Amino acid sequence: MKLIFEYEENISGHVPRIQKINTDKKDKDRDKNNENREFLADLPSDLARKELPLPNVGEVDVVRHYTNMSRMNFGIDLGFYPLGSCTMKYNPKINEDMARLEGFSQLHPLSHESCIQGSLQLMWELEQDFNKITGMDAFSLQPAAGAQGELLGVMIAKAYYKQKHEKRTKVLIPDSAHGTNPATAAMCKLETVTVPSDSRGNMDICKFRELLGQDVALVMLTNPNTLGLFEENILEISDLAHSNGTLMYCDGANMNALLGITRPGDQGFDLIHLNLHKTFSTPHGGGGPGAGAVGVKSFLVDYLPLPRVVKTMKRFVLEYSRRKSVGMLKYCYGNFGMLVRAYSYLRSWGSELRRVSEHATLNANYLLCLLRNDFELPFDRRCAHEFVLSSKNLGQKSALNIAKRLMDYGFHPPTIYFPLIVPEALMIEPTETESKETLDEFAAALKAIANEIKTDPDMVKGAPYTRPVGRLDEVRAARKPNLRWRWLSIANKTNEDSENIKNSGGTTSL
Amino acid sequence: MDYIPATENDKKEMLMQIGATSINDLMADLKPQISEDLAFTDPMSELELASHMKKLSQKNKILKYFIGAGAYNHYVPSAIYHLLMRGEFLTGYTPYQAEMNQGTLQAIYEFQSFICLLTGMDVANASLYDGSSALAEAVLMSASYNGRNGIFVNDGLNPQYEQVLKTYCEGADLKIVDEIDEKTACVVVQNPDFYGNLENFQYLSDRAHQFGALFVTCVVEPTSLAIVEPPGNYGADIVVGEGQSFGIPINFGGPYLGFLAVKAPLLKKIPGRVCGMTTDLHGKKGFVLTLQAREQHIRRERATSNITTNVELMAIASTIYLALMGRDGLKNVAKHCYSRAHLLQENLASTGFKPLNSKPFYNEFIMKAPLKSYEKILSKLLKKGIVGGLNLGNDNILICCTEMNTFEDIALYISIIKGTLNLK
Amino acid sequence: MPEAKLKFTKEHEWISITNEGLAVIGITDFAQEQLGDIVSIELPKSGGRFKQMQAMAIIDSVKASSDIYCPLSGEVVQINEELYEHPELINQSPYELGWIIKLKPSNSEEIEGLMTVEKYNEFIGETEKGK
Repeated sequence: MKLIFEYEENISGHVPRIQKINTDKKDKDRDKNNENREFLADLPSDLARKELPLPNVGEVDVVRHYTNMSRMNFGIDLGFYPLGSCTMKYNPKINEDMARLEGFSQLHPLSHESCIQGSLQLMWELEQDFNKITGMDAFSLQPAAGAQGELLGVMIAKAYYKQKHEKRTKVLIPDSAHGTNPATAAMCKLETVTVPSDSRGNMDICKFRELLGQDVALVMLTNPNTLGLFEENILEISDLAHSNGTLMYCDGANMNALLGITRPGDQGFDLIHLNLHKTFSTPHGGGGPGAGAVGVKSFLVDYLPLPRVVKTMKRFVLEYSRRKSVGMLKYCYGNFGMLVRAYSYLRSWGSELRRVSEHATLNANYLLCLLRNDFELPFDRRCAHEFVLSSKNLGQKSALNIAKRLMDYGFHPPTIYFPLIVPEALMIEPTETESKETLDEFAAALKAIANEIKTDPDMVKGAPYTRPVGRLDEVRAARKPNLRWRWLSIANKTNEDSENIKNSGGTTSL
Repeated sequence: MDYIPATENDKKEMLMQIGATSINDLMADLKPQISEDLAFTDPMSELELASHMKKLSQKNKILKYFIGAGAYNHYVPSAIYHLLMRGEFLTGYTPYQAEMNQGTLQAIYEFQSFICLLTGMDVANASLYDGSSALAEAVLMSASYNGRNGIFVNDGLNPQYEQVLKTYCEGADLKIVDEIDEKTACVVVQNPDFYGNLENFQYLSDRAHQFGALFVTCVVEPTSLAIVEPPGNYGADIVVGEGQSFGIPINFGGPYLGFLAVKAPLLKKIPGRVCGMTTDLHGKKGFVLTLQAREQHIRRERATSNITTNVELMAIASTIYLALMGRDGLKNVAKHCYSRAHLLQENLASTGFKPLNSKPFYNEFIMKAPLKSYEKILSKLLKKGIVGGLNLGNDNILICCTEMNTFEDIALYISIIKGTLNLK
Repeated sequence: MPEAKLKFTKEHEWISITNEGLAVIGITDFAQEQLGDIVSIELPKSGGRFKQMQAMAIIDSVKASSDIYCPLSGEVVQINEELYEHPELINQSPYELGWIIKLKPSNSEEIEGLMTVEKYNEFIGETEKGK
């Protein structure tokens, strides 16, 4: 498919046919106040832009271009998307309409408080919902994604110890941890120390005890962990941490296993982030936007970012006065559009929310039992909402080849090569919104591919065959980066001279 | 609403296959279990939910906005929404499996290209959360690049952006300083600034470079780039900004769109995702996420940033916006913004408001209302359904115009001012 | 084979001492195979000083990023700048064209503690078995 820069020049429909600025007054009133004056002529020449090198493309071409591009994609709306750790559940359409309600989408964030009561109420109620679900005492809805939520969590921990005049510089994470955990610690100049896993897939409690020194600020755990297994020693781990004066942070990416069943607050966690684009059904959009709410126990509330939404007798207010707050992570209040979707999702489920986790767990265990004999199972336990298999028995790079070949069977591949502690890892999370039929079909496809690897390995290595492109050369992309379009003759991109743009052509390069 | 397709029969069959007696049996590991219900309301059908949400949304009041300060009320062409709602764009994951999502990847490549063309820079990433956190990431990146920890911020940075910057700097042990010297990692400016002022910053970028610091420009209202000289042309090493003006509704503050673009030598240090063009095994053109070894899932504690999920759908929205508007459409928008703002400022000046901009401005400007009149004026405007601007205290107000502010609205604004001040 | 005269570390670096007493350092064939196609490298600056086994460079492949440790204490006197444009030299010729730095060692005793080629081959044999 060609790039948008390679289309025939065409004036966009968003330039008025008659070049008059003032089009909304009658003739006799026109220019009464010099509205058509060329104000722009006053802009000094050292500030004025000489050329704007953008293409002009007609709307019909634009719509066809992006529609055809979308048809090269795969989404939950098209089929099964079993990416472990991503919780690719169905994104309810009603939530899109709710987010688009004029009262929500057209509201300026700096409006007077009397004009934003609906949104403040939504945020306050959502905070209460998250408290109930997680067993925490307060939430900030400001972080824009899970990683930003983690950043907030680590900043809060750092501020907490600074207040207590305690010098703690280390963060303990299990060896199965997601890369964001150590990256976040590093952004706050804290050192990451990795704790190995034991033979049951739990964090090794003996090694944990050894590493839990006076300089440990935080323990960052995902529970269930990235192996899809619930940390069996979690209560003991929390006790040990708290006795040591260390805070417990929960990476809530796997919350889909726990809704209505157990609460991280009861497991001993002091802080948690939630991924609204995972557990709470907001759409992934090809890589965001997400939202990463952060919850804390009451002794940490004052560190949360400003402003806080507070309910008074008569109304909701934005409170800016807490002096211990770590500050702000982004402009205004958070990804409000995503909060609306999560709120709608929770209202839809209401008191039956538990069924989400029940069926997520059922689907995962069922799929695991269908596949356990064709692959290696690193830890033989009941899984939570996801599980990890190893295709080591099928050879080196088998996970990669299985992933590419699954595309030909009409499925999106699962997560591969993560967690790092399992070789040739396949991390599979079906979610609760998939039918038994889909799970049966997926298992059948994996079995077929396992067989193909034995009987026709070269064919599998050459997959996929049915996508718009074949297997792509990632080495070339990294060694010779080609990251943008560049016009060959920039001089032709003047504001007046529109005819020559296409003739100059362009190239793709760094 | 129930999105679970499993029937009771399916449930029985699956449990049997697993060898479990009940679902609770499967969750025996989970401790401690909650004994009581979550105390939520009854589940709502779509009909009930729609009614509930409509009522809630109507507790908000949508007015005519003469306010910006980081969120700009521009027209969003209809085609954008329709394209974004396609399940192929809306419900896919990050395109790590490139062959499954060439559409999203090509859109990212086009987005990166548009940002480079607009800002005059060499390479851009696939987006960051928003303008303020993009600025913070640029600062962290600068400090990592030259190993220094002083951050110089020029006057005129959006106060919320400054807050965010302080928060990130505190976390990363960086200091905001008063002087540019050899300990300065970067020099930060916003252009147009918080008060709308425009400046050609060649002199400041020269000064930064003299001391080996990087020059970072933050563009919070990027429609300005249609008519104003881009930062790449006055020495910027890094350009960040807020893309909300490009086809994204104001949404009560989010989700928005952070962009970041750099000059070529800084490529290996940029945070976030980057899409590159390559070929497949048959030589056919395709796209992949590339240079992933910079990112958290590979570098882990040595990554420049922990960012994972960005705001892809918003980047796609902006790409479509820029494609629909094109060179002439975007220039048209900028012309409208500029002209209406200057018209309003001129008219307000004639009623006794004092213009306070020391430099040329784009579509935002700051004025001082006649002594002690401002609270009364703002409240009168509010009663007539107009948000007159951002109250900066001391009778100072920050006012913004876009193509959405009609001449009728401007005339109404002026007549209310005149009425309140008892002028003819 | 070129490896016969070299010494090795457990982190898969090789060292060769020139007649002038400089240490030429690179990564082994085993290491480059593990990393896969190398896409870029971050080299230290000439004149940089390192302690034995201190991280001094980073090699990126498509899917991985690996620290390279300085096998001897000393001062970097030359870096292989070819690797910026052609990182694939490490894959293609890890012991010759893919050399990474030249170092002036500060402690001549350290080299005695490094592995011979036989010991190194034994070491990687055991590592492979353990997987």
